[in-house]
Amino acid sequence: MRTIEEVVSGVFGVDQASVNESSSPESIEGWDSMGHVNLVIALEQNFNVSIDIDDVMDMGSVGKIRKILLEYGVKG
Amino acid sequence: MDGGTRAEGMDGRMGQGAQHTLKEWILAAEVALLENVDDTAAERFSWLAEGLRRRSPEKLWDLLRDASKEELDKVPELDNLLERLAQTLVGVGRLGETADLVKAARQWEVRLAGSVYRQLAQAQMRSGETARAEETIRELLKQDADDVEAQRLLYRVLRETGRMAEAHDVLNRLVELDPSAATATFAHRERGKLGEMRGRPVRIALLSSYVLDPLIPFLDVECRRAGLAPAFYVAPFNQYTQEVLNLSSGLYAFAPEIVIVALDLEDLFPAVRGMPSVDELATGRDEIRGTITELARELHAHSNALIVVHELTLPGFSPHGILDNRRRDGLSRWTEDLNRELAEALGSQAHTFLLPLRQVLSRAASERGHSRKLYYMARMRHSDAALRELARYSMRYVKPLKGLTRKCVVVDLDGTLWGGIVGEVGAEGLHLGPTAPGIEFVDFQQALLNLTKRGIVLAICSKNNPDDVMPVLREHKHMVLREENFAALRINWRNKAENLAEIAEELNIGLDTLVFLDDNPVERELVRQMLPEVLTVELPKDASQYRSMLESLTDFELLALTKEDQQRAGQYQANRRRQALERSSGSLEEYMHSLEIRAEIVRAEAHHVPRLVQMLNKTNQFNTTTRRYQAPDMERFCASEDRRVYVLEVSDRFGEHGLVGAAIVRAEPETWYVDSFLLSCRVMGLSVETVLLKQIYDAARHRGVPRLVGEFVPTAKNSPTADFYRRHGFRLAENGDNTQAWTLDLRVDRIQDPAWIAVKATEE
Repeated sequence: MRTIEEVVSGVFGVDQASVNESSSPESIEGWDSMGHVNLVIALEQNFNVSIDIDDVMDMGSVGKIRKILLEYGVKG
Repeated sequence: MDGGTRAEGMDGRMGQGAQHTLKEWILAAEVALLENVDDTAAERFSWLAEGLRRRSPEKLWDLLRDASKEELDKVPELDNLLERLAQTLVGVGRLGETADLVKAARQWEVRLAGSVYRQLAQAQMRSGETARAEETIRELLKQDADDVEAQRLLYRVLRETGRMAEAHDVLNRLVELDPSAATATFAHRERGKLGEMRGRPVRIALLSSYVLDPLIPFLDVECRRAGLAPAFYVAPFNQYTQEVLNLSSGLYAFAPEIVIVALDLEDLFPAVRGMPSVDELATGRDEIRGTITELARELHAHSNALIVVHELTLPGFSPHGILDNRRRDGLSRWTEDLNRELAEALGSQAHTFLLPLRQVLSRAASERGHSRKLYYMARMRHSDAALRELARYSMRYVKPLKGLTRKCVVVDLDGTLWGGIVGEVGAEGLHLGPTAPGIEFVDFQQALLNLTKRGIVLAICSKNNPDDVMPVLREHKHMVLREENFAALRINWRNKAENLAEIAEELNIGLDTLVFLDDNPVERELVRQMLPEVLTVELPKDASQYRSMLESLTDFELLALTKEDQQRAGQYQANRRRQALERSSGSLEEYMHSLEIRAEIVRAEAHHVPRLVQMLNKTNQFNTTTRRYQAPDMERFCASEDRRVYVLEVSDRFGEHGLVGAAIVRAEPETWYVDSFLLSCRVMGLSVETVLLKQIYDAARHRGVPRLVGEFVPTAKNSPTADFYRRHGFRLAENGDNTQAWTLDLRVDRIQDPAWIAVKATEE
């Protein structure tokens, strides 16, 4: 199982060291609406969870993703 | 005092929290390393090394670097220690030492985790040491060529250093290794920045009632796999009708070669979400069929594009449950009827296809489906797996349109057509028959035989003794394929690449039209290396997968199946008989006469169009201008006054060759221009092209036209045609950048029919 940072860096093809808690659609190229869907699919597959649509919409940054995944019992 | 005691003494002092100089640590670790003879000493060294790593990683590295092989062999979990040390060194910016460490580890034959290399490479890139980073990544790839992250890093290095062609190649590799939507999207986006890769262009437009944009990265991947450089257009969300009806829309401005029309049943007929009545269903079906056929008709009227309409699918299980197919308002049968009606309506229009979406989706269904949720989230319909399948299937339309259809399947025998080695177990010992093991090979042969009915020819390339093999081909009662099903046989002990090249030459087709099937990975690798143009298929280890592998190849599609395609297999056998005759004839002239060639030339009519279009798009060698006209162009030419399209049919004493030649003439009052002139490779060398040219010559002279101009556009493949006009007395009048113009003065120059061809020409 990969970390959230690894998933994000894999989905958008960016240097893992440049991914931090505040990384968001504003700071990462390719994190547009389609990229967001790809990211959610990758997170779901990696952590083996199914994320509610409300939560999908709230995942606006790596920090928020971490917080939401914690609610699913996932420590990413 | 032995080493153990000395080190224990130090342990004791540390336990008391005393301060130690770095020197003492190093000394202790050195001693432990030297005297590391039993388990407790090993533990002691690990403990000391760990402490040293935290305090002064570079000193630990010095210590290890200078240690002897014997000393290192005694260090417990050396790989683990080196990995942690490398991470620490990278962390404190000691990149040079880390690189040394990685190099040394290789010499010591200690395998380090990929993450060590990747972290080092990333740090090297951050500090601007791009060349070193590349070296690190390439080392990792030597250790593990399938490391996806390493390929990603390599891609970044190549992009940053401006090596765009290599960067494209790495993207190709990346999407093979990681078929996810995310990676396909990444690759597609990056290609936009890299600038164009070499490849034949293809222009694909999507019209959809839902969000089908995510298909594009997958289609991009598939197109590039086929050597194409695609351009895409996506109509604005849900504006497919406007785009088709408005002649100044972005769609027409894009000038697509293929338009994919993907409308969703729920979007066309929202009532299907509930439980519509019998009457509603009947009205709905008429409306949907009307909408789609009208769209297709408009598109066809205003564009030359190949039109691919997706079948309509039910969104899920019927709300009627198991009673659905017992009810008159059941949805399953209704959908089937609707699709059947669509197939009929679209089938009557040229260049228009209904894509069997249900088959495609069922293939993807075994993988995790996301479609409902994706619809709610993003108005998408298909999961990654379905999109991947859909892109792959869509290539069945793209490839024939771009002339990428493969023509010949070359098969190995032992382990490929049958189980076992015939030279060892004999015909009776082979696995080949109605029960397992053996039934899988019978079934695979049947699938190969099916291909021959679609114009694909078969050939054998096997390392064997012909005396062992021929009895099986001729007499084994469970063989589906017989000797006469193969257009060429190479049963010998020579290099397979040479044999394949010979087969291509014998059949007069390009190496890039061959598919090679062999169960032996060594032979496959050899052919891949020596003949990269040949499609060498990665045959599954398990023979029971052979048939489905063959059927999943997208390289055998034809946009129309012509009489010539269905007869092709037989024609190649006739060719083999012709060659036998040639060998027995005294002179070429004598041979030509003995063939009893008959040629017939007529002006093309509508029923010739499918075969004409196929020839225009497949013929590479004998093709003067390689202008790839499509069905709508040809329909227009056949109906027009100033274009004259001629077709040539040839037969001889061994059988019919069918429609094997064509010419398109642009007739102007003072000059007739031969816009295209092409001949199937099957009849090259018989001089039938002269007969066709002579017919154009006669028709022009008959009308008092003084001049005939033959246009010639050289390509990588049409060199056999380069002297065509010169041979017939034309003079080179203009030699432009791309186009040559060869002229013939009809008032003085003459063309003669070859003596050995009986010509029948019918013209007004």
